[in-house]
Amino acid sequence: MSVTAPDAGLSTVWDVGLDDAPVALSAQGDLVAVAGAEGTCSVLDLATGERTHSVDLPGGALHAALSPDAGHVAATGPTGYALWSRHDGGTTVRETGAWSSVARWADTERVAVGSGRRALVLTTDGEELWATEPAASTVTDLAWMRGGRRLAVAAYGAVRCHERHQTAPVRTYPYLGSHLTLAVAPTGRWICSGNQDASIHIWRTRDAGELTMSGYPEKVARLAFDDTGFWLAADGAPDVTVWDFSGKGPAGTAPRSLRCHESVTALAWRPASGGHLATGGDDGTIALWRATAGRPEARLRPARTLDGDAAVAALAWAGPHLLIGAHRDGRVRAYRLPSRTTL
Amino acid sequence: MTAPDQTAEAVDDRVPVTVLTGFLGSGKTTLLNRILTEQHGLRIAVIENEFGEVGIDDALVLDAEEEIFEMNNGCICCTVRGDLIRILGALMRRREKFDHILIETTGLADPAPVAQTFFMDDEIAAQLRLDAIVTLVDAAHVRQHLDEEKPEGVENEAVEQIAFADRIVLNKTDLVDEATVADVVSRIRAINAGVEIIPAEHARVDLQRVLDVGAFDLDRVLKDDPSFLTETEHQHDTTVTSVGIDLPGELHEDRLNQWLGTLLRTKGADIFRSKGILAIADAPKQYVFQGVHMLLVGEFGRDWSDGEPRGNRLVFIGRNLDRAELERGFAGCLTTAGAAA
Repeated sequence: MSVTAPDAGLSTVWDVGLDDAPVALSAQGDLVAVAGAEGTCSVLDLATGERTHSVDLPGGALHAALSPDAGHVAATGPTGYALWSRHDGGTTVRETGAWSSVARWADTERVAVGSGRRALVLTTDGEELWATEPAASTVTDLAWMRGGRRLAVAAYGAVRCHERHQTAPVRTYPYLGSHLTLAVAPTGRWICSGNQDASIHIWRTRDAGELTMSGYPEKVARLAFDDTGFWLAADGAPDVTVWDFSGKGPAGTAPRSLRCHESVTALAWRPASGGHLATGGDDGTIALWRATAGRPEARLRPARTLDGDAAVAALAWAGPHLLIGAHRDGRVRAYRLPSRTTL
Repeated sequence: MTAPDQTAEAVDDRVPVTVLTGFLGSGKTTLLNRILTEQHGLRIAVIENEFGEVGIDDALVLDAEEEIFEMNNGCICCTVRGDLIRILGALMRRREKFDHILIETTGLADPAPVAQTFFMDDEIAAQLRLDAIVTLVDAAHVRQHLDEEKPEGVENEAVEQIAFADRIVLNKTDLVDEATVADVVSRIRAINAGVEIIPAEHARVDLQRVLDVGAFDLDRVLKDDPSFLTETEHQHDTTVTSVGIDLPGELHEDRLNQWLGTLLRTKGADIFRSKGILAIADAPKQYVFQGVHMLLVGEFGRDWSDGEPRGNRLVFIGRNLDRAELERGFAGCLTTAGAAA
């Protein structure tokens, strides 16, 4: 029998610099994808940070997503999208002229990308399987529901849910406003949109019962559910707010407030952690939190902060022990957190 | 007593944004190409709502399709341009930095949501400042656009674009006679009394008069004060007009807030632009404000000088403005008005 002493020490595993200013991160398997504002999407080796490939998207990039098996990268940008295959190194670039905000993988075979006012569902080769009818505005965010059988599409005025191969929505959740970001609880019980009008709008999927959390000082552009679906973290204020969605949901409750940043630029829940959250700010600070500790209405302090020279652009966890942080100046770092319970 | 503004003035390092409006054929693209080709050494990004007419290798040109978003907060005129929020947001995340951004709107665009975007979105407001709305006017054809009868409830875009303008480039003056130019100028003044009008042929203008003019800068309102209050001319029957009010005396702060708040809440949809320099009772500094529809920003500016008569000047540009009512309402805010009541 061997006894290992608990090692709480956080360490920096690697630290690399990229030329293009990062805007989005994705970590899956043994790879990390970093989308750069001017259109260079870098694929890094998770173990070393070494850049193994890059995909160029003319017109810039907004988002990049690795498929769950790390076999493919979908990158999206202001004038189109691209797919890269690890197996043959091939890249398919589609310059559609339409704004592609985001890519979301349903499984290892299918990816949904926003393309102007429509969402396209593509194979890994970029072949179009089906597409939604145009929404009222450019699609801002997408989320898969029901294990990849239903696609939620956020745009101006509504979140629309499409079943496979159906251009018309099977369910429309209307709300007059511009939905900037979408979060669907892993339990499938809640659909939440963060909005330009400084609110979070919430629908209970069972009966489309609605709730609006308004009164944020700024637009809500980032939302994230933890993997239990009980906790939702939101920006929209200097304090990150964390709402309790367990039981009957957050109606009538107060959120926990996480005080560290002046302006929040990234949110990422640690997987399988019981309430550990990483947040980033425009001052370059990354904060680690026990975000569900204390009572509702509690104002929490970070368990740990990590400094950076430039604004945090994105955060992503590669499993529970590795946090990747990308900064606007091109620095991308991987931090190891050996203990599952300590931050 | 030391005045708090003795400390160094904060430098506004936000990137200036010029909005170019004007009907199709008024010369927007010609002016845009002129700005891009001139040797000014500026890194310029262009957002075009009309396609493919600008072709300059050095400049970053982005296409946009107008998306107007209402805000679900009960304010009917708080519309913003979702397309600009997206595009400007992505632009500001690039490592290459720009000295100036130009937005070319379509000929039929309403300037209000464009302007409001710069005040309603915090991310945009933190990094960019609306420098000016520059409207191109085709001297030969503008009168027919202004005279066009619109169905009930539909805006005359030519009138709106003139009403919103901080600068008007009166283009194609070579194609009309002097009498026509004079008539067009008086038509423009009837709508927007104080606007600076720059006559031009082939959109040839001194760029310093249209770029980096700081029209939304409150300091500039103060500096420009002699020019922003030109007496309104009345020879044309237009529903969109300017009302300038010049009233000596000091204002009762609470009454002013009450009056201005109610006015913008109830008539804000009809008031396109407003600006003013006011004397608040007991305040050593001039109060300056500037508004677009219901959105208003204001602050205390410079000190009133010794011997300078304390008085108030403000101007509204809008639709169906009732001069007598505005004058009466504003006069009711004077400290002396309470005694009379």
